[in-house]
Amino acid sequence: MSLRSRAENSCNAIARACFRASGPNADVISLRGVTLVYPNGTRALDGLNLEVAKGSFVFLVGGTGTGKSSLLRLLYREQRPTHGEVTVDNVRVDRIKRSRVPHLRRNVGVVFQDFKLLSDKTVWENVAFALQVTGAQTKDVIRQVPRVLDLVGLAHKTRMFPSELSGGEQQRVAIARALVNNPKILLCDEPTGNLDPANANEVMDLLHRINLKGTTVLVATHNALVVDRMRRRVIRLEDGTIVADEERGFYHLNGNGANAAGTPAPLRGSHGLGTNPLLLE
Amino acid sequence: MDWGRIRFFLSEVWRNFTRNLAMQFTAIGTVAVTIVLLGSFLFTREAIGKIGDDVLKRIEISVFLTEGATPAATRSLAARLSADPRILSVEYIPKAVGLRRMRERLRGQIDTSLLTQNPLPDALRVRVRNPDTVHAVAASIRALPLVANVEYAHDAVEKLLKLSDVLGRIGLGIVVLLVLTAAIIISNTIRLTVFARRREIAIMQLVGASRLYIRMPFICEGLLDGLAGAAVALGLLELARVQLLPKLAVALPFIPMRVGTVDQLALALELLGTGAAVGIVAAWLSVGRYLRV
Ligand SMILES: Nc1ncnc2c1ncn2[C@@H]1O[C@H](COP(=O)(O)OP(=O)(O)OP(=O)(O)O)[C@@H](O)[C@H]1O
Ligand SMILES: [Mg+2]
Repeated sequence: MSLRSRAENSCNAIARACFRASGPNADVISLRGVTLVYPNGTRALDGLNLEVAKGSFVFLVGGTGTGKSSLLRLLYREQRPTHGEVTVDNVRVDRIKRSRVPHLRRNVGVVFQDFKLLSDKTVWENVAFALQVTGAQTKDVIRQVPRVLDLVGLAHKTRMFPSELSGGEQQRVAIARALVNNPKILLCDEPTGNLDPANANEVMDLLHRINLKGTTVLVATHNALVVDRMRRRVIRLEDGTIVADEERGFYHLNGNGANAAGTPAPLRGSHGLGTNPLLLE
Repeated sequence: MDWGRIRFFLSEVWRNFTRNLAMQFTAIGTVAVTIVLLGSFLFTREAIGKIGDDVLKRIEISVFLTEGATPAATRSLAARLSADPRILSVEYIPKAVGLRRMRERLRGQIDTSLLTQNPLPDALRVRVRNPDTVHAVAASIRALPLVANVEYAHDAVEKLLKLSDVLGRIGLGIVVLLVLTAAIIISNTIRLTVFARRREIAIMQLVGASRLYIRMPFICEGLLDGLAGAAVALGLLELARVQLLPKLAVALPFIPMRVGTVDQLALALELLGTGAAVGIVAAWLSVGRYLRV
């Protein structure tokens, strides 16, 4: 990657550090020098550094195979880094024992493109499942499930089965399930990948509302429309490293001619990779 | 007590169990066959063992005394034998008593009134505490003064001891093989359930269910297979006891099957326990192998 984009990355990091509370707890996620090499030799992440402030909303963008899903997998300990440190909510998740992983997962909700709902359980049962299998008391199940179903706007469809719901509704059930344990962090891997634009916007609005309630939200996505509509922090990956990191960013970078909405370009952080041959090394 | 939690757990177990009914029936059937054979074996061994015990307990050493033994000398010999820790009891049988008993025993078979004088010597009847010591005790008595002869049913003792020993070894071998077979089939059943439930398992792992919680339904499934198999086997064994045993007793009168002497409740509990243990152990092992959590 280019030296210049590396330099700008650190500028951005400094800028971010300036307008948020400092201290050891300000970052809810922190990756330092993280490299992930899969057993087959694929280098999915390569010396990656990243800090995510508590309560922020972050898009992970980048072409296919650039390491977005791999990065998320490190955060809920589906993978361990080959090198480097992964800290989530002040816990070194690359170091914790296997028996502590369930505890981490209750604190980190995860949502996927394919929803991963159980087809033989109703909406209510799918959401309750996450509490029941973590040993929650029945009275908590009865209290929490309606709360999250109400939050995602499905209080009226609790008895339906996933096959009776639209894709957007199914994804909202999956989000409700991810939230029912009150996690600090919500990770979404292409949450709108199977949805039409209307449903995608609905889901993104929901994620926005969840973020406003204080949950840190990370969204890996290919969906330029939702990224550009939200104008939140955008991190672009390429070959397993961060090539761009902007507050209030766009899906496509400046100079790529893709600011379809015609919004004014941000003053800093233009990485017209692929368009400006001078930036390539 | 949180009944909602218990109900949810049991419904998950039931879902597991019914996901693959054909396989569950195979597992239950195998356990049932195993337990039926194990039960028949234990029953036979127990019955023979009880008969053997009876015989062994009744084994006596008859000590015939020389002609010149005075009553006083005989009594002191009896006292000396009683002091031996291996010996349970010593009974003095003067020749008159011996004759009377012989007459009673042989009544109708031999005309004992033909006897004009008592042909029997005075005798001591010795019982040992432990049948294994019969040989040694008999040998040491034979060496004592005043003792003319010593008799006991040593062949019967030896054969019974040997029979129960051999039966024990064969039975153990068969039982080990059967239990292994049952365990393999149960573990295969659990593997299929794990496969059928891989989506649920993945979600449980994702939302932070503990390892033990994820494993528990599979352990319960193994337990259920084991218990159900044992229950079926108990039913079959009971049927055999009621229907088959009386016919067997008529057909083979020389084998004294004393059903009443076998503790059937204890046997039933043993068999249920074996079924449960096989199920739990097989499930525990296979879940560890097939469920990488
Ligand atoms: N389990 C795995 N084993 C081996 N290689 C993998 C594995 N998962 C991903 N990879 C490889 O690691 C690289 C990064 O993959 P990753 O799934 O993180 O990309 P991504 O940015 O999520 O892509 P997409 O946008 O298509 O989802 C790719 O080259 C991929 O082929
Ligand atoms: Mg991906």
